[in-house]
Amino acid sequence: MSSGRSDWPADPAESERLLDAARAGTPPEAPADPLAHLLAAAAAPGTAAELAGEEQALAAFRAARANPAPAAAPGPRRRFRVGAVLAGLAATATAGVAFAAVNLDRTPEPAPPPAPTTPGGSTGGASEPGSPAPSGGTTPSGGASGGVPSSAPTPGSSGGPGGSGRPASAGKLAGHCRAYLAKSDQQRAKALESPGFADLVTAAGGADRVESYCLALVPEKSPEPTPTPTPESKPTSESKPKPKSTPKPKSTPKPKSDPKAEPKSDPKSTSKP
Amino acid sequence: MTGELSEAVAAAQGGDEEAFRFLYRSLQPGLLRYLTALVGGDAEDVASETWLQISRDLPSFTGGEFRAWTVTIARNRAMDHLRRQRRRPALPVPVQALSELAGDADTAERAGETIGTESALALIASLPPREAEAVLLRAVIGLDAETAGRVLGRRAGAVRTAAHRGLRRLAGLLERADADQPADRAGGATPPRARTGPGRQASQAPKAEPADG
Repeated sequence: MSSGRSDWPADPAESERLLDAARAGTPPEAPADPLAHLLAAAAAPGTAAELAGEEQALAAFRAARANPAPAAAPGPRRRFRVGAVLAGLAATATAGVAFAAVNLDRTPEPAPPPAPTTPGGSTGGASEPGSPAPSGGTTPSGGASGGVPSSAPTPGSSGGPGGSGRPASAGKLAGHCRAYLAKSDQQRAKALESPGFADLVTAAGGADRVESYCLALVPEKSPEPTPTPTPESKPTSESKPKPKSTPKPKSTPKPKSDPKAEPKSDPKSTSKP
Repeated sequence: MTGELSEAVAAAQGGDEEAFRFLYRSLQPGLLRYLTALVGGDAEDVASETWLQISRDLPSFTGGEFRAWTVTIARNRAMDHLRRQRRRPALPVPVQALSELAGDADTAERAGETIGTESALALIASLPPREAEAVLLRAVIGLDAETAGRVLGRRAGAVRTAAHRGLRRLAGLLERADADQPADRAGGATPPRARTGPGRQASQAPKAEPADG
Protein backbone atom coordinates (compact mmCIF):
# COMPACT_ATOMS: atom_id res chain seq x y z
CA MET A 1 0.00 0.00 0.00
CA SER A 2 2.54 2.45 -1.00
CA SER A 3 0.91 4.88 -3.31
CA GLY A 4 -2.32 6.77 -3.28
CA ARG A 5 -3.80 4.46 -5.90
CA SER A 6 -4.57 1.92 -3.24
CA ASP A 7 -8.00 3.35 -2.66
CA TRP A 8 -8.98 2.86 -6.26
CA PRO A 9 -11.70 2.30 -7.28
CA ALA A 10 -12.94 4.89 -4.90
CA ASP A 11 -16.56 3.82 -4.53
CA PRO A 12 -19.00 1.18 -5.68
CA ALA A 13 -20.21 3.40 -8.48
CA GLU A 14 -16.74 3.56 -9.89
CA SER A 15 -16.50 -0.20 -9.63
CA GLU A 16 -19.79 -0.58 -11.42
CA ARG A 17 -18.52 1.61 -14.20
CA LEU A 18 -15.41 -0.50 -14.58
CA LEU A 19 -17.36 -3.74 -14.53
CA ASP A 20 -19.84 -2.51 -17.07
CA ALA A 21 -17.05 -1.42 -19.35
CA ALA A 22 -15.53 -4.86 -19.21
CA ARG A 23 -18.90 -6.45 -19.70
CA ALA A 24 -19.58 -4.39 -22.78
CA GLY A 25 -16.15 -5.12 -24.17
CA THR A 26 -15.23 -1.47 -24.13
CA PRO A 27 -11.49 -1.12 -24.36
CA PRO A 28 -10.08 0.58 -21.32
CA GLU A 29 -9.74 4.25 -21.81
CA ALA A 30 -6.82 5.05 -19.66
CA PRO A 31 -3.95 2.86 -20.70
CA ALA A 32 -2.34 3.45 -17.40
CA ASP A 33 -5.01 1.82 -15.34
CA PRO A 34 -4.02 -1.78 -14.76
CA LEU A 35 -7.33 -2.73 -13.18
CA ALA A 36 -9.30 -1.85 -16.28
CA HIS A 37 -6.81 -3.81 -18.30
CA LEU A 38 -7.17 -6.76 -16.04
CA LEU A 39 -10.93 -6.78 -16.38
CA ALA A 40 -10.73 -6.35 -20.12
CA ALA A 41 -8.34 -9.27 -20.31
CA ALA A 42 -10.63 -11.41 -18.20
CA ALA A 43 -13.51 -10.63 -20.51
CA ALA A 44 -11.52 -10.97 -23.70
CA PRO A 45 -13.07 -12.88 -26.59
CA GLY A 46 -12.87 -16.62 -26.42
CA THR A 47 -9.97 -18.54 -27.80
CA ALA A 48 -10.01 -21.62 -29.93
CA ALA A 49 -8.89 -23.71 -27.01
CA GLU A 50 -11.87 -22.61 -24.99
CA LEU A 51 -14.18 -23.72 -27.75
CA ALA A 52 -12.67 -27.15 -28.05
CA GLY A 53 -15.84 -28.81 -26.82
CA GLU A 54 -17.99 -27.39 -29.56
CA GLU A 55 -18.59 -30.58 -31.47
CA GLN A 56 -19.29 -32.44 -28.29
CA ALA A 57 -21.86 -29.88 -27.29
CA LEU A 58 -23.46 -30.07 -30.69
CA ALA A 59 -23.58 -33.82 -30.44
CA ALA A 60 -25.38 -33.44 -27.15
CA PHE A 61 -27.76 -31.02 -28.76
CA ARG A 62 -28.53 -33.43 -31.56
CA ALA A 63 -28.87 -36.30 -29.20
CA ALA A 64 -31.26 -34.42 -26.99
CA ARG A 65 -33.43 -33.55 -29.92
CA ALA A 66 -33.27 -36.73 -31.87
CA ASN A 67 -33.32 -39.26 -29.12
CA PRO A 68 -35.68 -38.38 -26.39
CA ALA A 69 -35.44 -41.86 -24.97
CA PRO A 70 -32.19 -43.11 -23.59
CA ALA A 71 -32.35 -45.92 -26.09
CA ALA A 72 -30.52 -44.30 -28.93
CA ALA A 73 -28.21 -41.91 -27.24
CA PRO A 74 -25.28 -40.48 -29.15
CA GLY A 75 -23.00 -43.42 -29.20
CA PRO A 76 -24.28 -46.26 -31.32
CA ARG A 77 -23.79 -44.80 -34.71
CA ARG A 78 -23.97 -47.95 -36.63
CA ARG A 79 -27.37 -48.75 -35.40
CA PHE A 80 -28.41 -45.27 -36.08
CA ARG A 81 -27.27 -45.55 -39.62
CA VAL A 82 -30.15 -47.79 -40.47
CA GLY A 83 -32.59 -45.40 -38.96
CA ALA A 84 -30.95 -42.48 -40.62
CA VAL A 85 -31.04 -44.02 -44.03
CA LEU A 86 -34.62 -45.07 -43.58
CA ALA A 87 -35.51 -41.64 -42.48
CA GLY A 88 -33.81 -40.16 -45.46
CA LEU A 89 -35.58 -42.59 -47.68
CA ALA A 90 -38.90 -41.83 -46.26
CA ALA A 91 -38.53 -38.12 -46.17
CA THR A 92 -36.82 -37.39 -49.41
CA ALA A 93 -36.04 -39.49 -52.42
CA THR A 94 -32.93 -41.46 -53.20
CA ALA A 95 -30.91 -38.30 -53.01
CA GLY A 96 -31.68 -38.34 -49.36
CA VAL A 97 -30.15 -41.73 -49.03
CA ALA A 98 -27.01 -40.67 -50.75
CA PHE A 99 -26.75 -37.65 -48.56
CA ALA A 100 -27.35 -39.57 -45.44
CA ALA A 101 -24.93 -42.26 -46.44
CA VAL A 102 -22.18 -39.84 -47.28
CA ASN A 103 -22.52 -37.91 -44.13
CA LEU A 104 -22.80 -40.80 -41.83
CA ASP A 105 -19.76 -40.21 -39.86
CA ARG A 106 -20.27 -36.59 -39.30
CA THR A 107 -23.91 -36.24 -38.70
CA PRO A 108 -25.74 -39.20 -37.36
CA GLU A 109 -28.91 -37.54 -38.43
CA PRO A 110 -29.92 -36.50 -41.93
CA ALA A 111 -30.68 -32.91 -42.46
CA PRO A 112 -34.19 -32.39 -41.22
CA PRO A 113 -36.26 -32.01 -44.34
CA PRO A 114 -39.38 -30.24 -43.18
CA ALA A 115 -39.41 -27.22 -41.03
CA PRO A 116 -39.33 -28.21 -37.43
CA THR A 117 -42.60 -27.99 -35.72
CA THR A 118 -41.95 -25.91 -32.68
CA PRO A 119 -40.94 -28.36 -30.08
CA GLY A 120 -40.90 -25.49 -27.68
CA GLY A 121 -43.13 -26.51 -24.88
CA SER A 122 -44.33 -29.76 -26.28
CA THR A 123 -43.43 -32.59 -24.05
CA GLY A 124 -43.53 -35.26 -26.67
CA GLY A 125 -40.00 -34.83 -27.81
CA ALA A 126 -40.28 -37.85 -29.99
CA SER A 127 -42.11 -35.96 -32.68
CA GLU A 128 -38.85 -34.85 -34.08
CA PRO A 129 -39.09 -34.36 -37.81
CA GLY A 130 -35.72 -35.55 -38.98
CA SER A 131 -35.69 -38.98 -37.58
CA PRO A 132 -39.04 -40.63 -37.43
CA ALA A 133 -38.71 -43.33 -34.86
CA PRO A 134 -35.51 -45.09 -35.73
CA SER A 135 -36.01 -48.65 -36.81
CA GLY A 136 -39.72 -48.28 -36.60
CA GLY A 137 -42.11 -49.52 -34.06
CA THR A 138 -40.80 -48.29 -30.79
CA THR A 139 -41.99 -44.85 -30.21
CA PRO A 140 -39.63 -43.94 -27.53
CA SER A 141 -41.76 -42.76 -24.71
CA GLY A 142 -41.41 -39.07 -25.08
CA GLY A 143 -40.67 -36.27 -22.76
CA ALA A 144 -37.11 -37.20 -22.30
CA SER A 145 -35.82 -34.21 -24.11
CA GLY A 146 -37.54 -31.98 -21.70
CA GLY A 147 -36.76 -33.58 -18.47
CA VAL A 148 -35.88 -36.72 -16.75
CA PRO A 149 -35.93 -39.73 -18.95
CA SER A 150 -35.56 -41.92 -15.96
CA SER A 151 -34.71 -45.43 -16.73
CA ALA A 152 -37.14 -45.99 -19.49
CA PRO A 153 -37.41 -49.61 -20.33
CA THR A 154 -37.81 -49.00 -24.04
CA PRO A 155 -34.29 -49.44 -25.26
CA GLY A 156 -33.98 -53.03 -26.20
CA SER A 157 -35.85 -53.28 -29.44
CA SER A 158 -34.48 -50.31 -31.22
CA GLY A 159 -30.98 -51.39 -30.53
CA GLY A 160 -31.35 -54.94 -31.64
CA PRO A 161 -31.73 -55.22 -35.36
CA GLY A 162 -29.13 -52.89 -36.75
CA GLY A 163 -26.28 -53.87 -34.51
CA SER A 164 -23.75 -55.45 -36.76
CA GLY A 165 -23.03 -58.39 -34.58
CA ARG A 166 -22.52 -56.27 -31.55
CA PRO A 167 -23.81 -57.97 -28.49
CA ALA A 168 -24.42 -55.02 -26.25
CA SER A 169 -27.91 -53.74 -26.49
CA ALA A 170 -28.72 -50.22 -25.54
CA GLY A 171 -30.37 -51.46 -22.43
CA LYS A 172 -27.26 -53.24 -21.45
CA LEU A 173 -25.26 -50.13 -22.11
CA ALA A 174 -27.54 -48.17 -19.91
CA GLY A 175 -26.99 -50.73 -17.22
CA HIS A 176 -23.27 -50.44 -17.63
CA CYS A 177 -23.58 -46.73 -17.47
CA ARG A 178 -25.43 -46.84 -14.20
CA ALA A 179 -22.82 -49.11 -12.81
CA TYR A 180 -20.11 -46.87 -14.14
CA LEU A 181 -21.60 -43.68 -12.81
CA ALA A 182 -22.03 -45.22 -9.42
CA LYS A 183 -18.33 -45.69 -9.11
CA SER A 184 -15.77 -43.39 -7.66
CA ASP A 185 -13.25 -41.77 -9.91
CA GLN A 186 -10.64 -44.33 -9.16
CA GLN A 187 -12.94 -47.21 -9.70
CA ARG A 188 -14.05 -45.68 -12.94
CA ALA A 189 -10.59 -45.58 -14.34
CA LYS A 190 -10.15 -49.20 -13.43
CA ALA A 191 -13.50 -50.20 -14.78
CA LEU A 192 -12.77 -48.74 -18.16
CA GLU A 193 -9.92 -51.13 -18.56
CA SER A 194 -11.88 -54.16 -17.69
CA PRO A 195 -13.34 -56.21 -20.51
CA GLY A 196 -16.78 -55.92 -18.99
CA PHE A 197 -16.91 -52.30 -19.96
CA ALA A 198 -15.34 -52.69 -23.36
CA ASP A 199 -18.67 -52.42 -25.09
CA LEU A 200 -19.41 -49.26 -23.26
CA VAL A 201 -16.11 -47.71 -24.22
CA THR A 202 -16.71 -48.66 -27.81
CA ALA A 203 -20.18 -47.28 -27.84
CA ALA A 204 -19.06 -44.06 -26.26
CA GLY A 205 -16.31 -43.68 -28.79
CA GLY A 206 -13.44 -43.73 -26.38
CA ALA A 207 -12.65 -44.05 -22.73
CA ASP A 208 -12.56 -40.34 -22.21
CA ARG A 209 -16.05 -39.99 -23.53
CA VAL A 210 -17.69 -42.58 -21.42
CA GLU A 211 -18.71 -40.18 -18.74
CA SER A 212 -20.47 -37.72 -20.98
CA TYR A 213 -21.93 -40.55 -22.98
CA CYS A 214 -23.35 -42.09 -19.87
CA LEU A 215 -24.60 -38.81 -18.57
CA ALA A 216 -26.54 -38.43 -21.78
CA LEU A 217 -27.79 -41.97 -21.64
CA VAL A 218 -28.58 -42.13 -17.98
CA PRO A 219 -29.02 -38.67 -16.61
CA GLU A 220 -28.58 -39.73 -13.07
CA LYS A 221 -27.87 -36.30 -11.86
CA SER A 222 -30.91 -34.59 -13.16
CA PRO A 223 -32.81 -35.02 -9.93
CA GLU A 224 -31.64 -31.58 -9.22
CA PRO A 225 -34.35 -29.69 -7.46
CA THR A 226 -34.42 -26.73 -9.78
CA PRO A 227 -32.87 -27.36 -13.11
CA THR A 228 -34.79 -24.46 -14.49
CA PRO A 229 -33.22 -21.59 -12.74
CA THR A 230 -35.84 -19.00 -13.17
CA PRO A 231 -35.16 -17.29 -9.96
CA GLU A 232 -37.81 -14.71 -10.51
CA SER A 233 -40.25 -15.78 -7.88
CA LYS A 234 -38.72 -17.20 -4.88
CA PRO A 235 -41.37 -18.40 -2.56
CA THR A 236 -40.67 -16.46 0.51
CA SER A 237 -41.22 -18.18 3.71
CA GLU A 238 -44.03 -15.92 4.69
CA SER A 239 -46.30 -17.08 1.93
CA LYS A 240 -46.55 -20.58 3.11
CA PRO A 241 -45.12 -21.38 6.42
CA LYS A 242 -44.40 -24.98 6.06
CA PRO A 243 -45.05 -26.96 9.12
CA LYS A 244 -41.70 -28.44 9.24
CA SER A 245 -41.68 -30.69 12.15
CA THR A 246 -43.81 -33.67 11.61
CA PRO A 247 -42.94 -35.40 14.74
CA LYS A 248 -41.53 -38.65 13.73
CA PRO A 249 -40.84 -40.78 16.67
CA LYS A 250 -37.33 -41.76 16.13
CA SER A 251 -36.71 -43.51 19.29
CA THR A 252 -38.65 -46.64 18.88
CA PRO A 253 -39.93 -47.67 22.19
CA LYS A 254 -38.72 -51.02 22.97
CA PRO A 255 -41.15 -53.77 23.27
CA LYS A 256 -41.22 -54.76 26.81
CA SER A 257 -41.56 -58.37 26.23
CA ASP A 258 -38.07 -58.65 24.97
CA PRO A 259 -35.92 -56.13 26.64
CA LYS A 260 -32.47 -57.35 25.95
CA ALA A 261 -32.47 -60.11 23.51
CA GLU A 262 -32.75 -57.99 20.40
CA PRO A 263 -29.84 -55.77 19.70
CA LYS A 264 -30.93 -54.77 16.26
CA SER A 265 -33.05 -51.76 16.99
CA ASP A 266 -30.59 -50.28 19.31
CA PRO A 267 -29.56 -46.93 17.99
CA LYS A 268 -26.39 -46.07 19.73
CA SER A 269 -26.26 -47.71 23.00
CA THR A 270 -24.11 -50.57 22.03
CA SER A 271 -21.61 -49.90 24.63
CA LYS A 272 -18.81 -52.24 24.37
CA PRO A 273 -17.44 -53.45 27.52
CA MET B 1 -26.28 -8.44 -28.67
CA THR B 2 -28.90 -9.60 -26.30
CA GLY B 3 -31.41 -9.56 -29.09
CA GLU B 4 -29.11 -11.65 -31.19
CA LEU B 5 -28.78 -14.07 -28.35
CA SER B 6 -32.47 -14.49 -27.81
CA GLU B 7 -33.03 -14.97 -31.49
CA ALA B 8 -30.49 -17.72 -31.45
CA VAL B 9 -32.14 -19.25 -28.42
CA ALA B 10 -35.47 -19.36 -30.17
CA ALA B 11 -33.94 -20.83 -33.28
CA ALA B 12 -32.06 -23.43 -31.29
CA GLN B 13 -35.24 -24.38 -29.53
CA GLY B 14 -36.65 -24.95 -32.97
CA GLY B 15 -33.80 -27.30 -33.74
CA ASP B 16 -31.42 -25.00 -35.56
CA GLU B 17 -27.97 -26.42 -35.08
CA GLU B 18 -26.15 -23.36 -36.26
CA ALA B 19 -28.03 -21.30 -33.76
CA PHE B 20 -26.94 -23.65 -31.03
CA ARG B 21 -23.41 -23.39 -32.26
CA PHE B 22 -23.69 -19.64 -32.00
CA LEU B 23 -24.91 -19.95 -28.45
CA TYR B 24 -22.02 -22.18 -27.61
CA ARG B 25 -19.47 -19.84 -29.09
CA SER B 26 -21.00 -16.87 -27.38
CA LEU B 27 -21.33 -18.36 -23.94
CA GLN B 28 -18.77 -21.07 -23.53
CA PRO B 29 -15.69 -18.89 -22.97
CA GLY B 30 -17.34 -17.03 -20.15
CA LEU B 31 -18.76 -20.17 -18.62
CA LEU B 32 -15.43 -21.90 -18.77
CA ARG B 33 -13.67 -19.00 -17.13
CA TYR B 34 -16.23 -18.79 -14.43
CA LEU B 35 -16.07 -22.52 -13.85
CA THR B 36 -12.32 -22.42 -13.68
CA ALA B 37 -12.59 -20.14 -10.72
CA LEU B 38 -15.04 -22.54 -9.10
CA VAL B 39 -13.56 -25.94 -9.79
CA GLY B 40 -10.08 -25.27 -11.14
CA GLY B 41 -8.74 -27.86 -13.53
CA ASP B 42 -12.02 -29.72 -13.77
CA ALA B 43 -13.69 -26.79 -15.42
CA GLU B 44 -13.80 -28.34 -18.86
CA ASP B 45 -15.52 -31.45 -17.59
CA VAL B 46 -18.06 -29.42 -15.73
CA ALA B 47 -18.57 -27.26 -18.78
CA SER B 48 -19.33 -30.37 -20.80
CA GLU B 49 -21.90 -31.43 -18.26
CA THR B 50 -23.32 -27.96 -18.35
CA TRP B 51 -23.82 -28.09 -22.09
CA LEU B 52 -25.37 -31.50 -21.82
CA GLN B 53 -27.93 -30.12 -19.49
CA ILE B 54 -28.43 -27.01 -21.56
CA SER B 55 -29.12 -29.24 -24.53
CA ARG B 56 -31.55 -31.33 -22.60
CA ASP B 57 -33.38 -28.52 -20.91
CA LEU B 58 -33.37 -26.02 -23.72
CA PRO B 59 -36.97 -26.77 -24.63
CA SER B 60 -38.01 -25.87 -21.13
CA PHE B 61 -36.34 -22.48 -21.18
CA THR B 62 -39.21 -20.10 -21.19
CA GLY B 63 -37.57 -16.76 -21.46
CA GLY B 64 -35.69 -14.31 -19.37
CA GLU B 65 -31.98 -13.80 -19.34
CA PHE B 66 -30.46 -16.75 -21.12
CA ARG B 67 -27.00 -15.99 -19.81
CA ALA B 68 -28.30 -16.17 -16.29
CA TRP B 69 -30.05 -19.42 -17.06
CA THR B 70 -26.93 -21.06 -18.41
CA VAL B 71 -24.65 -19.75 -15.72
CA THR B 72 -27.02 -21.02 -13.08
CA ILE B 73 -26.84 -24.45 -14.63
CA ALA B 74 -23.07 -24.18 -14.70
CA ARG B 75 -23.00 -23.14 -11.10
CA ASN B 76 -25.21 -26.01 -10.03
CA ARG B 77 -23.09 -28.45 -11.93
CA ALA B 78 -20.00 -27.03 -10.30
CA MET B 79 -21.51 -27.36 -6.85
CA ASP B 80 -22.49 -30.92 -7.62
CA HIS B 81 -19.02 -31.58 -8.78
CA LEU B 82 -17.52 -30.18 -5.64
CA ARG B 83 -19.90 -32.18 -3.54
CA ARG B 84 -18.89 -35.28 -5.41
CA GLN B 85 -15.29 -34.51 -4.86
CA ARG B 86 -16.00 -33.76 -1.25
CA ARG B 87 -13.74 -30.88 -1.16
CA ARG B 88 -13.95 -27.20 -0.88
CA PRO B 89 -13.83 -24.87 -3.80
CA ALA B 90 -10.20 -25.05 -4.66
CA LEU B 91 -9.19 -21.83 -6.17
CA PRO B 92 -6.08 -21.77 -8.26
CA VAL B 93 -2.93 -20.91 -6.44
CA PRO B 94 -2.71 -17.19 -6.26
CA VAL B 95 0.96 -17.16 -5.53
CA GLN B 96 1.73 -18.51 -8.92
CA ALA B 97 -0.66 -16.12 -10.51
CA LEU B 98 1.07 -13.27 -8.86
CA SER B 99 4.49 -14.22 -10.01
CA GLU B 100 3.21 -14.84 -13.50
CA LEU B 101 1.53 -11.55 -13.40
CA ALA B 102 4.67 -9.82 -12.36
CA GLY B 103 6.37 -11.37 -15.34
CA ASP B 104 3.53 -10.31 -17.53
CA ALA B 105 3.62 -6.79 -16.31
CA ASP B 106 7.27 -6.71 -17.04
CA THR B 107 6.74 -7.98 -20.51
CA ALA B 108 3.83 -5.69 -20.97
CA GLU B 109 5.90 -2.69 -20.22
CA ARG B 110 8.37 -3.62 -22.85
CA ALA B 111 5.97 -4.72 -25.50
CA GLY B 112 3.22 -2.30 -24.73
CA GLU B 113 0.84 -5.16 -24.22
CA THR B 114 -1.60 -5.91 -21.52
CA ILE B 115 -1.95 -8.64 -19.01
CA GLY B 116 -3.06 -11.97 -20.40
CA THR B 117 -6.51 -13.46 -19.95
CA GLU B 118 -5.28 -16.39 -17.95
CA SER B 119 -3.33 -14.31 -15.52
CA ALA B 120 -6.22 -11.97 -15.10
CA LEU B 121 -8.55 -14.85 -14.33
CA ALA B 122 -6.12 -16.47 -11.98
CA LEU B 123 -5.86 -13.24 -10.11
CA ILE B 124 -9.61 -12.85 -9.89
CA ALA B 125 -9.92 -16.43 -8.75
CA SER B 126 -7.57 -15.70 -5.90
CA LEU B 127 -10.13 -13.37 -4.37
CA PRO B 128 -12.43 -14.61 -1.64
CA PRO B 129 -15.08 -16.70 -3.40
CA ARG B 130 -17.93 -14.26 -3.03
CA GLU B 131 -15.95 -11.44 -4.46
CA ALA B 132 -14.53 -13.56 -7.23
CA GLU B 133 -17.97 -14.75 -8.24
CA ALA B 134 -19.38 -11.26 -8.21
CA VAL B 135 -16.60 -9.91 -10.37
CA LEU B 136 -16.79 -12.82 -12.80
CA LEU B 137 -20.54 -12.75 -13.18
CA ARG B 138 -20.48 -9.05 -13.80
CA ALA B 139 -17.43 -8.58 -15.97
CA VAL B 140 -16.93 -11.93 -17.65
CA ILE B 141 -20.37 -13.47 -17.91
CA GLY B 142 -21.81 -10.06 -18.50
CA LEU B 143 -24.73 -9.91 -16.11
CA ASP B 144 -25.96 -6.80 -14.41
CA ALA B 145 -25.91 -6.66 -10.66
CA GLU B 146 -29.58 -7.55 -10.29
CA THR B 147 -29.34 -10.62 -12.46
CA ALA B 148 -26.10 -11.70 -10.86
CA GLY B 149 -27.83 -11.36 -7.52
CA ARG B 150 -30.57 -13.71 -8.64
CA VAL B 151 -28.05 -16.25 -9.80
CA LEU B 152 -26.25 -16.10 -6.50
CA GLY B 153 -29.34 -15.88 -4.38
CA ARG B 154 -28.31 -12.53 -3.01
CA ARG B 155 -29.42 -8.98 -3.21
CA ALA B 156 -28.09 -6.79 -5.96
CA GLY B 157 -26.60 -4.50 -3.37
CA ALA B 158 -24.66 -7.34 -1.88
CA VAL B 159 -23.30 -8.21 -5.29
CA ARG B 160 -22.23 -4.63 -5.86
CA THR B 161 -20.49 -4.52 -2.54
CA ALA B 162 -18.73 -7.79 -3.12
CA ALA B 163 -17.63 -6.76 -6.59
CA HIS B 164 -16.37 -3.46 -5.32
CA ARG B 165 -14.37 -5.10 -2.59
CA GLY B 166 -13.01 -7.53 -5.10
CA LEU B 167 -11.90 -4.77 -7.41
CA ARG B 168 -10.17 -2.93 -4.65
CA ARG B 169 -8.39 -6.05 -3.64
CA LEU B 170 -7.37 -6.63 -7.22
CA ALA B 171 -6.10 -3.12 -7.49
CA GLY B 172 -3.99 -3.73 -4.42
CA LEU B 173 -2.64 -6.97 -5.83
CA LEU B 174 -1.78 -5.31 -9.09
CA GLU B 175 -0.06 -2.56 -7.31
CA ARG B 176 2.10 -4.92 -5.42
CA ALA B 177 2.89 -6.94 -8.50
CA ASP B 178 3.75 -3.73 -10.20
CA ALA B 179 5.99 -2.68 -7.39
CA ASP B 180 7.81 -5.91 -8.04
CA GLN B 181 8.23 -7.12 -4.55
CA PRO B 182 9.08 -10.76 -4.75
CA ALA B 183 9.21 -10.93 -1.01
CA ASP B 184 5.49 -10.67 -0.99
CA ARG B 185 5.02 -13.79 -2.96
CA ALA B 186 5.25 -15.95 0.06
CA GLY B 187 2.14 -14.35 1.38
CA GLY B 188 0.63 -13.70 -1.98
CA ALA B 189 -2.78 -14.94 -1.06
CA THR B 190 -3.35 -12.37 1.58
CA PRO B 191 -5.36 -9.41 0.55
CA PRO B 192 -3.81 -6.04 0.65
CA ARG B 193 -3.35 -5.37 4.24
CA ALA B 194 -5.71 -2.99 5.77
CA ARG B 195 -3.96 -0.53 7.96
CA THR B 196 -5.85 -1.63 10.95
CA GLY B 197 -4.85 -5.20 10.39
CA PRO B 198 -1.56 -5.61 12.12
CA GLY B 199 -2.53 -3.53 15.07
CA ARG B 200 -5.60 -5.49 15.67
CA GLN B 201 -3.81 -8.69 15.29
CA ALA B 202 -1.18 -7.67 17.72
CA SER B 203 -3.62 -6.55 20.30
CA GLN B 204 -5.55 -9.70 19.89
CA ALA B 205 -2.67 -11.97 20.13
CA PRO B 206 -2.03 -12.79 23.67
CA LYS B 207 -0.46 -16.09 24.32
CA ALA B 208 -2.48 -18.92 23.07
CA GLU B 209 -1.49 -20.97 26.00
CA PRO B 210 -3.45 -20.66 29.11
CA ALA B 211 -1.35 -18.94 31.66
CA ASP B 212 -1.92 -21.57 34.13
CA GLY B 213 0.97 -22.51 36.24
